[in-house]
Order: sequence, then structure tokens, then C-alpha cells
Amino acid sequence: MTSPPYPLNELDLSAPLDRHRATVLPEWIDWNGHMNVGFYVVAFDKATDTLCEQLGVSWDYTREKIGMTFVLEAHVTYDREVKEGDPLRITSQILDHDAKRLHCIHAMYHATEGYLAATNELMLMNIDYATRRSAPWPGFAMERLEKLAEAHRSLPRPPQAGRLIGIKKKQ
Amino acid sequence: MLDSLPYELPELVTHAPLDLHRSAVLPEWVDWNGHMNVAFYVTAFDQASGTFMRNMGLGRRYVDGKLGMTFVLETHVTYDREMKGGAPMRFTTQLLDRDAKKVHLYHEMFHATEGYLAATNEVIVMNIDYASRRSAPWPAPVAERLETLWLAHMTLSRPAKAGRVMGLQKR
Repeated sequence: MTSPPYPLNELDLSAPLDRHRATVLPEWIDWNGHMNVGFYVVAFDKATDTLCEQLGVSWDYTREKIGMTFVLEAHVTYDREVKEGDPLRITSQILDHDAKRLHCIHAMYHATEGYLAATNELMLMNIDYATRRSAPWPGFAMERLEKLAEAHRSLPRPPQAGRLIGIKKKQ
Repeated sequence: MLDSLPYELPELVTHAPLDLHRSAVLPEWVDWNGHMNVAFYVTAFDQASGTFMRNMGLGRRYVDGKLGMTFVLETHVTYDREMKGGAPMRFTTQLLDRDAKKVHLYHEMFHATEGYLAATNEVIVMNIDYASRRSAPWPAPVAERLETLWLAHMTLSRPAKAGRVMGLQKR
């Protein structure tokens, strides 16, 4: 498919992508008085929507019954607490891609204090709506993905990408 | 380190792996793709970590008594199969490693009646002192329980999905 039956956003080639903003909602707070681990991922998933809008594979893509994007794997580092009402800024960097998949990492910052609150590395896969199975990215999405990947190619690889979970042994 | 906890601890379960946690996919966990959203897998797994911690003696009373909390430092999820609203879930939990302040857990989520593997979650959880909100050694009775559980789990084979590093395998 070379063009979708809906308008596409103007492509933002800033590196990393720095469009997503949010606020920590009251219902995201748990009994420890901070944003609960699950809701960090809710916040990151909305940033994934912002990235997918750039590719033209967000809500319109599913509403028009063309396709969906599924997450295959996710890794989150929880670097610092955020509280109710805190403003969030989330940046997104493309790490790699192929015909069906996209490997990216989001970084969540406290928007005014500036500190890193969390990171989220993701593997996304394109899914055909009718078969609900993996399928190559449509032409318009691949074209945009290649441009974004090219714009992000010279960014340094974040230290939180490619992490292996474990408890480090002290000598 | 706390030498004791001011409440009665539950009887310790040492099955290898633990097979204690059950829940169901709530309607509000389902997204526009008609399945459990990626973030709520993390919420569901976090509740399984909560069940693990209660077995160790660290439940709501630990927080309400202003003794301590447990924070997640890092989490890694593999999304293996979709779950629909209302689906019953069964979780197993293996203790992969532990030290004076942290545990490294591995959960598997199964569809409770159909039996298939839906997702896996590796997580590092750290003990936090309530007053300072900083890391602290496990309370003594908890450290003792962790060692008892470790003896039961240390001989389990390491799950194939544990210790993953994300990336696109080039063909």
C-alpha cells in the first residue's frame, strides 16, 4: 500500500523524536505514593502511539482495518520516581528496523526538573488486520521509517538499550 | 536492618516454581486492538510480584506500618500470545537470584483454562526503607525466608526466556 486512506502528519525528523508530553494522572499513583510500574508503561505506550503517528500506523490504521502494531518485547528501567501531577516529556529513538519490525527506545524525563525517570526499549511488529498475523510494513510506513531511521542513525546508543537483567555480584 | 516484623507472617510456601497467583483480565485493561494492552501485562505481573512479596512477609502491613516498601528497578516482558477481556490467568514464579537488598524474579503468565503461555516477566525488586526512601537490607525474617526459598529454587533450570537482550536477528 503506497498511501493510506487518511492524511499523514508532517514527518518530524528531529533526532531523537521529541514530541510526546503527558502528565502523571491521579489514578496512576499506587500505595507507595508514586507512579505505579504498570502506568509507566501506559505512559510509554502513548509515546509509542506518537511514534506510530509519524509512521502513519496509529489509530487511523486500525480504524480503517488495515493493520495494527503489536509489542513483542519490552524492557523498562525505573530510574527515578514521579509523583501525581508531574509533567512528563518522552523522547523516542529508532535503534533498528526490518521489513516487519521496529526496535526503539523511549526516555521519560520530568519535563520541568529535567531528570531521567525511566526508559522503555521495545520491539514492535506490524500486524495485518484481517489475518492478525505479522506482515511487512505498508509502503508509506516503510518509507517514513527509513527516513526516521536515517535521521536517528548518528545518535549515540543509550546505555539503557540492550540490557541484560541481573543482580551484579560484589567482589 | 529490621530484626523482626511487628505482625504475624503467613506460612511460607516453597513450591518450585511458586504457583500461587491467579487473576483475570479486567475490561479496562483491553485496548483498541481488542486484547490486553501491553502496559496491563506489567500491572498483572506486578500483582504477581506482590503475591511473591506477601509470601516473603512483605504485604500491605509492611507499607501501612511505615516500615518499608519494595520498588521495581527494572522489568523485561516477552509478549507471547494475546489475552482477551475476562481471560483467567495463572502465574508461576521462580526466584532466579537474591542478595541483601534485591530479588531477581521470573514470572510466567498462562491462560488458566486453555493453558497456553501468554507472556513472561523478569523483574528486579529492591527493598526500600520507609523513612529515608532509599534502599535497605531485607528485614531479617524476610532474608531468612528468601534463603529457604532459594534452596528450593536454585536447582530449577534457568528459563529459556530469561536473560534476553533485545535485538533484530539479521537473516
